[in-house]
Amino acid sequence: MRTTIAVIGTGFVLLAAAACGSSSSSSGGSGAGSSGSPSTSTSAAPTAGPGLTSPTAPSGAKQTGGTVYYTEGAGATPNYIFPMTSAQVCGTTNITQLNAMMYRPLFWYGNNYQPTIDYDYSIGKQPTFSDNNQTVTIKLNPWKWSNGETVTSRDVMFWINLYKADPSKNYCGYVPGYFPDNVTSVQAPDPQTVVLHLNKSYNPEWFTYNELSQIYPLPLAWDRTSLSQPAPKTDNGHLPDATKAGAESVYKFLDTQSKALGTWATSPLWSVVDGPFKLSSFTTTAQVTLVPNPDYSGSPKPTISKLVELPFTSDAAIFNEIRSGGPSAVTVANLPSQYAPQSATVEGEGYVLNRAASYSVNYFPLNFNNPTVGPIFRQLYFRQAFQHLIDQQGWIHAFLHDTAIPTYGPIPVSPESPLASVNASTNPYAFSTSAAATILSSHGWKVAPGGTTTCEHPGTAANECGAGISSGQPISFNIDYQSGVASVESEMNDLEAQAKRVGININLTSHPFPTVIGTAIACKPTEPDCKWTSENWGAGWIYGPDFLPTGESLYQNGSVANYGSYNDPKANSLITATITGPAANEKQALTAYAQYIEQQVPVVFGPTSIGTYQGDAGTLVAKNLGGYAANALGYMNPEDWYFTK
Amino acid sequence: MTGFIIRRLGEAIIVTLGVTLITFLLLHALPGSLARDILGNRASPQAIAAFNKQNGLDTSVFNQYWLFLDKLLHGNLGYSFQYNRTVDSLLASELPRDVVLGGLALIFSLAIAIPIGVAQAVRRNGALDYAGTGVSFVLYSMPQYAIALLLIQFLAISFHVFPAEAPQSASALGMLEHPAGLVLPVASLTLVTYALFSRYMRSSAIDTLAQDYIRTARAKGLPERLVLTRHLLRNSLIAVVTLVGLSIPTILTGTLIIEQVFNYPGAGLEYFNAALRNDYEVMLGITVLVGIITVLGNLLADIGYAILDPRIRY
Repeated sequence: MRTTIAVIGTGFVLLAAAACGSSSSSSGGSGAGSSGSPSTSTSAAPTAGPGLTSPTAPSGAKQTGGTVYYTEGAGATPNYIFPMTSAQVCGTTNITQLNAMMYRPLFWYGNNYQPTIDYDYSIGKQPTFSDNNQTVTIKLNPWKWSNGETVTSRDVMFWINLYKADPSKNYCGYVPGYFPDNVTSVQAPDPQTVVLHLNKSYNPEWFTYNELSQIYPLPLAWDRTSLSQPAPKTDNGHLPDATKAGAESVYKFLDTQSKALGTWATSPLWSVVDGPFKLSSFTTTAQVTLVPNPDYSGSPKPTISKLVELPFTSDAAIFNEIRSGGPSAVTVANLPSQYAPQSATVEGEGYVLNRAASYSVNYFPLNFNNPTVGPIFRQLYFRQAFQHLIDQQGWIHAFLHDTAIPTYGPIPVSPESPLASVNASTNPYAFSTSAAATILSSHGWKVAPGGTTTCEHPGTAANECGAGISSGQPISFNIDYQSGVASVESEMNDLEAQAKRVGININLTSHPFPTVIGTAIACKPTEPDCKWTSENWGAGWIYGPDFLPTGESLYQNGSVANYGSYNDPKANSLITATITGPAANEKQALTAYAQYIEQQVPVVFGPTSIGTYQGDAGTLVAKNLGGYAANALGYMNPEDWYFTK
Repeated sequence: MTGFIIRRLGEAIIVTLGVTLITFLLLHALPGSLARDILGNRASPQAIAAFNKQNGLDTSVFNQYWLFLDKLLHGNLGYSFQYNRTVDSLLASELPRDVVLGGLALIFSLAIAIPIGVAQAVRRNGALDYAGTGVSFVLYSMPQYAIALLLIQFLAISFHVFPAEAPQSASALGMLEHPAGLVLPVASLTLVTYALFSRYMRSSAIDTLAQDYIRTARAKGLPERLVLTRHLLRNSLIAVVTLVGLSIPTILTGTLIIEQVFNYPGAGLEYFNAALRNDYEVMLGITVLVGIITVLGNLLADIGYAILDPRIRY
């Protein structure tokens, strides 16, 4: 029951995504497979990094029609259809496996295996920045909604109006102070142009990948507060979203309709789509059936006649169905991670294995504000010594079936992107218990291998334990990790054993994923919720919809996911530089930030799994299905897929 | 009897309320919070506070329990934030499927266990008895998970005789339209339940065989077939009826493993998932349901006693 959705951290519980930035990404979008027919997209699709694989194009003649059966994650079924997702419904099951195939985001993030925007699949053209990067102009392609209306700048403003009206600011991807707080005004000078005025200058790449990534144009047919009202077709100047109170009412109405799961397939609201598919049916067991939208404006048009998403109660049920039914029962399936050793057997039954990566970094936080061991965690030397105890290569080989990559810092290494080169080429804190012991000894600790290391020289000098650490204080703390995932449990057991070799006593406890991640909250030492010391939910952070890995959510003082309360003025300023600096300096700014975080180790980095976006061992694709390529940022492109004879 | 049933139903309400109160308090003592689970770690303190206020989670536990009771009295079991569905609708769609699974398994296990248990008792310490005991012990000691996976491996994966997953129809009737898909989940549950029932049936029948009225019946020259059906079976069933009454809640809502392995969404798995996700209202809703089913199961057992043994009066 892994499903572990383990990944996450962010709002996109599973949707991650990525980013890319760098100057080269601004022209992203015309890469392999992005523009042409499905038949060219598969075979030409590149793999994206070490250990990753992609299916080759089947040799048979391309067919029109056919039903693709796709496995939903175990226990992870869609529960929200409105593409303005709040934090509580923000996950891949809703966004990438349902909403985005019917309602297109303004930009299509992920260009097959590359973590860049694919403008050929986007409603918006590449945005232009002016006025010292304080004005953003976005031109729209003249796409059509399925009700015949054109997708216009008013539809974008509709989305922004609803977003700004939310009193709780609980949208997926919302970061206080950033979008939409940093947008001072929005204009629609013509139906195909949107202009955003910003409160200050921002890095265009950052704004494009981390802010505009949240926008979905919404049809005006939804701009109402009840189903009995006629669906607006044009802006008559009196649409309700134009006022804050009206926008709140519209949002409440759409939210309520979205929670009426049984009405989705027949709703006059949700049948208005601009994506390549529309909903045909949704059962009470959460089986989704999508069929092509005949009015889809983009290219390519869907070739398959139906996409059926199958719900499962467990990973075992998924695996059994793959083994017993084969490609005729399941066309595209994510192989649960515990079945990785059997991937070759399953491939022999009519599949090819696609192994991709999510744009993520695996780590677990230490609580700097824990009243007892927080002062120890605040010492840079301790964090560096502790990182020396992580045997990343050993873990990858022994516990992760060689389907993970070492992780040293905040920039994802895989899938490959121009940004990956900013990472250190070698592990700055390679596995070495002796190195860890040496560091501790040189900072006033009496190291007792197999026993209990204690502070021998309290004080704040360079060779003393550090502020807040008393004489004789041991290094003993708890790591609470996610239960039910064998690899995580093995890693933590190994870490406990290695730590003991330098006299660090780790107590291990395990809890379900929601409990672990829910316990890791930023806190003050005096607060009752601040007793946690370390929480490992198994997968760190997937970047999405913050697709440029700039760290404003993770390591900046007071940021939403800075759970350990790390606070370093230099890190704060380096992160700010990645956001507000000019695009020309972006790579330098990211390099400075990434290398500083690698040196600082504000969290404990561990190997990042590869396989699928959701953290599975890989995606099994039926051998007679062409056009499949994993989107580096988690979205799905079944309009590319086709069957062969 | 009518008075007894009314009295038992009254007791049932009190017991169910007590169970909900204890469950409610235990659930709130668990680590983690619903708001954090639902909104994720990216949620700001303001968003957490707004969620708690909107859902009454910022009030005292006892006030929250009172709100729960108020909703319960109005037929509202609450709302699942994980599924974006009311608990009522969740259970309404899943309980009928559980009834199909549990009901069929109960019928088949009784149909097998009763005659075999009697036969073992009659031929006590014979080859049949040893064989039956051996099979029962093996099945009873095997984890349900193992039985299910073995059946899938041989009958679904190796020989493709039956599907590996249950029918995916949303309704109970729809599931019955695809009986092949029900074979393996029902068989898995039946085998485990049979092992339990057959042991009780054997033991009860052995006790009954030692009774004077059996010896008298035989001494009177009554054919053995009639001795067994008229005198032995009816009196031996009392123990099994008790067991069936107590087993009904488990059979209907405790088939977590079967539901997991055979892709059979049901209330048992729902409770497990809800516990992992701190989805309190789903857990409470199922607790109420199980409480009611338990009481009804006991009531049915009591009624069964009276039918089987006319000497019993309530």
